[in-house]
This record gives sequence, C-alpha cells and structure tokens, in this order.
Amino acid sequence: MKIEVFAALKNYFSKEFEITEQLETVADLRQHLKNINPSSSQLINMCRFVVQEDLVTDAHPLLSNDHVVVLPPSSGG
Amino acid sequence: MIYITEEQLDLPGLLAASHHPGAGAVVLFSGEVRDNNVGKKVDYIEYESYAPMASKMMNQIMEDARQRWDLQIAVAQHRIGKVKISESAVVVITASAHRSEAYASNRYIIDRIKHEVPIWKCEYFADGTSVWGGNCNCHTETGDLNKHIYESENG
Repeated sequence: MKIEVFAALKNYFSKEFEITEQLETVADLRQHLKNINPSSSQLINMCRFVVQEDLVTDAHPLLSNDHVVVLPPSSGG
Repeated sequence: MIYITEEQLDLPGLLAASHHPGAGAVVLFSGEVRDNNVGKKVDYIEYESYAPMASKMMNQIMEDARQRWDLQIAVAQHRIGKVKISESAVVVITASAHRSEAYASNRYIIDRIKHEVPIWKCEYFADGTSVWGGNCNCHTETGDLNKHIYESENG
C-alpha cells in the first residue's frame, strides 16, 4: 500500500513510500510505522489516519492497494 | 468558496464583501505571524496542508456554524506556504444581526480550524533552527484523537 505523510512526520519518513507487508488494520500500520522508525513512536501515537480520503479508526481494515495518508496533530492558525 | 490558498490573504477585500443589510455586527479575526515564540525570535512560518481534506473540513465547519447561529456571512481562508511576520495566516469573518452570534461563531470556527483541519506550521527561527510546532494535544486529556477541547467552551 502507498503511504503519504505530512509535516513533522517528514522528519522520520519519506514523504511517500510503499509498504509491502500484509497489514490487517490501521492499528497494525500504526505499530509497523513505529517499528520502522522507533523514534517516531510518540508522534505516530498522536496521528490520525486517512484511507481513500476518509478519516478512519484504528480498527479500519486495510487493503494492499490502499492509499493511506498519515496526519500529525493539526497546528494551523 | 476558496478555503486554502497560497496567495496573500486579502483582508480588506474579504471584509468589503462581508457587509449585509441584515447584519448589525461583523467580526473579522486575523491570525497573524508573531516575531517570537517560546522565547525565540521567529523569522517566518511555513504552512503545509493536506488540501483536499482541509477544504472539505473547513466547508463542514462553516456549515456547522451556520446551523448553530443565524449568520448572514461566514467566511474563512487559510494561507499555506511561507508567511512573513505580521502577515495573516488565517482569516475568519462572521456577520449576524447582533454581535453575540458574530463573536461566538467566529471563535467556534477558528477553534475548530486550529484543532481539526489538517494544516501544519513550521516555525523558522532567527538562529537558523526550525520546528514543526504548536501541535494539538487535546487527546492527552480527552483520550480520543478526534475529541478536542475548545477555548470558546472554556470562557
């Protein structure tokens, strides 16, 4: 699946990258990202996930061709 | 309505378009770049957004505000890219028959934009350092990444 990250997450990951491992849910992906880069753990725990342009919960099932966007906590304004 | 733009925000133009015969109160909030933060001199701020979702969410926030208050005008725009000191990064304009609705709805809109909309600031300091900052951390108190604590609900 294709992963796209924003803002502070770019300090830990490429802006866009592919994950080939089979992951069942958003919770699995959250853990996988922490495994890839443990120093991102605190930030990853605070992130929201978007699949096909909808905000999803940790229980949301993932498909291998999903485009997942990872959103750090907002800091606009 | 354009919610996210790389252009400089046209505050006088937006205000000029926000007069309405049924509105006795017009409130304009401009969130501007300050020259200091956490004791450090700030050179400028760069904003980034996940634009499709940011626009959709801002549209929903405006809809929600119109449901809660009787508003003649409700406008919001957030600038992305490099924003210099004293320039406006975000503007919210509300107009209603009386000032209480205009003030309350304006604060409601800016609170929700700051907490919920996928927009992020990176502060560039005079000492050459930079930091992605000011993150919403409401979930540490609410226990839910989608539940926020708004200033407007706490006086």
